[in-house]
Amino acid sequence: MYFSDLGSISLILALGFAILTMVVAVLGATRNIPQLVASARRCVLAVAFFLLLASASLIASFLTHDFGVSYVAQHSSLSMPWYYTTAAFYGGQEGSLLYWALMLSVFSAVFVFTSRRAPSVLVPYVMATLMSIEVFLLIMLTTISSPFVRLPAPLPNGIGLNPLLMDPGMLIHPPILLMGYMSFSLPFAFAVAAMITGKLDSDWLRSIRRWTLAAWSIQTAGLMLGAWWAYHVLGWGGYWGWDPVENAALFPWLTATAFLHSTMVQERRGMLKVWNLGLVIASFALAIFGTFEVRSGLISSVHSFAYSAIGGYFLAFLCIVIVFSIGLFIYRLPRLRPEQEFVSVISREGSFLLNNLLLVGITFATLWGTLFPLISNAVSHQTLTVGPPFYNSVDGPLFIALLLAMGIGPLLAWRRTTLRTLWRNLGIPALAAAICAAILPLAGIRDIWPNIAFAVCSFTAGAILYEIWRGVRVRHSHGEPYPLALYMLINRYRQRYGGYIVHLGLVMLAVGVIGSHFFQLQTDAVLKPGQEINIAGYKLVYFGNIDQKYPDVEVVTAQLQVWHDGQLQEYIYPGRQFYANFGNQPASLIPITTFGLTDLYVFLDNWNGPAQATIRVFINPLVPLVWYGGLLMLLGGIICWWPEKRRQRIAKSIPSEGVPDPIGAGAVSGGEGTLVVARHAPQTQDTETDPVHQQANEEGVII
Amino acid sequence: MKPKRSLLVILAVVAILGATWSYVLVATPPQKTLDQEVQDVGSQLKCLVCQGESVADSPALLAQQMRTIIRQQLQSGKSEQDVIQYFQSRYGDRILYAPPRQGFNLLAWLVPIAMLLGGALLLFFVVRDWHKSSRPAAAEEVSDLANLDEADLKRYRQQLEQELAADDPLFARTRIEEAG
Repeated sequence: MYFSDLGSISLILALGFAILTMVVAVLGATRNIPQLVASARRCVLAVAFFLLLASASLIASFLTHDFGVSYVAQHSSLSMPWYYTTAAFYGGQEGSLLYWALMLSVFSAVFVFTSRRAPSVLVPYVMATLMSIEVFLLIMLTTISSPFVRLPAPLPNGIGLNPLLMDPGMLIHPPILLMGYMSFSLPFAFAVAAMITGKLDSDWLRSIRRWTLAAWSIQTAGLMLGAWWAYHVLGWGGYWGWDPVENAALFPWLTATAFLHSTMVQERRGMLKVWNLGLVIASFALAIFGTFEVRSGLISSVHSFAYSAIGGYFLAFLCIVIVFSIGLFIYRLPRLRPEQEFVSVISREGSFLLNNLLLVGITFATLWGTLFPLISNAVSHQTLTVGPPFYNSVDGPLFIALLLAMGIGPLLAWRRTTLRTLWRNLGIPALAAAICAAILPLAGIRDIWPNIAFAVCSFTAGAILYEIWRGVRVRHSHGEPYPLALYMLINRYRQRYGGYIVHLGLVMLAVGVIGSHFFQLQTDAVLKPGQEINIAGYKLVYFGNIDQKYPDVEVVTAQLQVWHDGQLQEYIYPGRQFYANFGNQPASLIPITTFGLTDLYVFLDNWNGPAQATIRVFINPLVPLVWYGGLLMLLGGIICWWPEKRRQRIAKSIPSEGVPDPIGAGAVSGGEGTLVVARHAPQTQDTETDPVHQQANEEGVII
Repeated sequence: MKPKRSLLVILAVVAILGATWSYVLVATPPQKTLDQEVQDVGSQLKCLVCQGESVADSPALLAQQMRTIIRQQLQSGKSEQDVIQYFQSRYGDRILYAPPRQGFNLLAWLVPIAMLLGGALLLFFVVRDWHKSSRPAAAEEVSDLANLDEADLKRYRQQLEQELAADDPLFARTRIEEAG
């Protein structure tokens, strides 16, 4: 027996258990039989086990070089190092589908293990929804898209992996991105469960928000890794090309971001329930749509290695998801009335509405741009492209508006903000913006758009930093040294300050994007040994080409010296790698040298013999900020997500009257104002509803 | 910051921003270099033999040749728009990297803007509805706040301090030390 047979059998067993889970969970919930729900939980674990077994079999087939398996023969070869051989697991269509199914089952298992935290009414329906998605994947894996299909006769050697995928970035980018797509299943499952049971309370909200936050963080990591990979491998000096496949990964991220914000309105004020459910469903539907788009090859894209026939199945699945969700939605609509009313537009919830409008607007505009070539082709039989110039001029201003809203939002209190408070809070961030706007022309930046964009960035950064500073200062005034005060502040109000860290990261990323979009320089030249390129204070001197031949790969590199500030900085070797089986798809070796915040990006365009090369040089200012910003966003996401310790609060509750007050009565010196009212508020686990904080916040003062 | 002073700050900020931006708009931008012009034109054109790359970005031979043509034409005194039109007349609309803003393709540009304006309008009406229906409740609460007397406030403040202390050992310790 081969490993592949074990894999096939495991897949069929996993499918069986997944169907069993659906049936048993729904029966257990509707007939109210706890034993059945308990057995559904175990079935979910069984599905995870068999998918792990199937994946292990596939990896074993790869590592034992079993070229009798078609998938192994097509995606690996004898000469590949072990890590690429292992990564080839998800290097093709069937394998990535298996990987997706595996991750879904692992996340489902994690859900089962942590399901005590979720409302118990929802658990069976969440499991049933997750497993119905799993059934869809497993049906494809066992029928039309099995990675374990055997060839009539084993090949002596495999074809190997697509060279574009043979890159360290490729070891982690696709699995993270696929995991991101998959992870939107969990919020969706919670949404479905809530619609079936009609239970949309604060427990539900907490669960779904944590899973959405997890999905959001994974998707953020996937998007950042994708950008990083494109920057280091594709050789056009950029990291984001508004390619349809890139856009597809952005859609669920945008709607999930919108959800994470509007859900706070639901939590605090009990409003926007319908809208929030819509956003969760949209995120999942867009994740499926993304997969369909990538797989179907419907829209031309640089990611052409993923085309296959399963696109149609994903389209059918997408239709089922949408019809099913809308049906449930309409069925449940009468129960989704808001609990509280809107008080004022100038309030935190008002700014969240603006945030949602902008995020959904960006999603729609990008979706429209992505699909427009299809529409245009159908209507006027014109082949046209919607490329970066479109997105830059449509989405660009929207993103700037979003950044501005991000700065103003935290300055507003819940319910309503008096204009006086607003003016007071606006002062310092606005000053930061003005200083930035005034300094830039002096530094030689005379264009209006980057000036406005940078001013908005400094406004938002100023607002967030000022907000954090006020919190730290209040804690400091109670005797904590500044670093500890900062740590305690973040630790005690994780959602709030984690959110601010995400925002700071996004501002940083925006600065990087603005800088590299408006101020990128590039030049190319055909060089003979001894000749040089001069650009923006950098001098590159060309020496000649080096050709290295290995058994299955040939590497051509050009040797150059980099001079800056009159000093030799280093030698660089831009080049190309030719893999024997993919001779027409050379992979690029791109040296990127970072000087401060500026990247020097050198690409070997063409060469002729040992002594002539066409070299392209890009000067990419501020690009490193994109990566730092991305890391900061991820860090903030993790801080928001990190589980709370169940605090032993209020055990020693408020001393009764008559007992001497140990603290001494007196007003809390709360920054600019004093706390006026701290009404009784129910003590909850959730820091965001901390009465002190909430009340303080309404007064525009942060503790 | 006192309200009056903060208002002054905001006014000053508005003045600075207005002055800077109008200066930047009016002042002629520094002359673009030929390289930048070539890149600007090239990034508006699609590389026809590549997947998802502009003429400015693509390493393909055709794109290199097109960049040379762009450079020559710009050097001969043509404007950026002229050069783009030259390529458009030769290759048709498919050479453009964004849909042309005319005819049916105008929809590509108008629909997102229309949807955004529509969304904003919808939001406006929805919020106005909410606002209207909730006005009596809001008024009640304001009077509620106003009626709280000083004694109440003091009690609440104390409670707040104690809750803070119960919650946060460090906070409590320092306060006690101060008190002691």
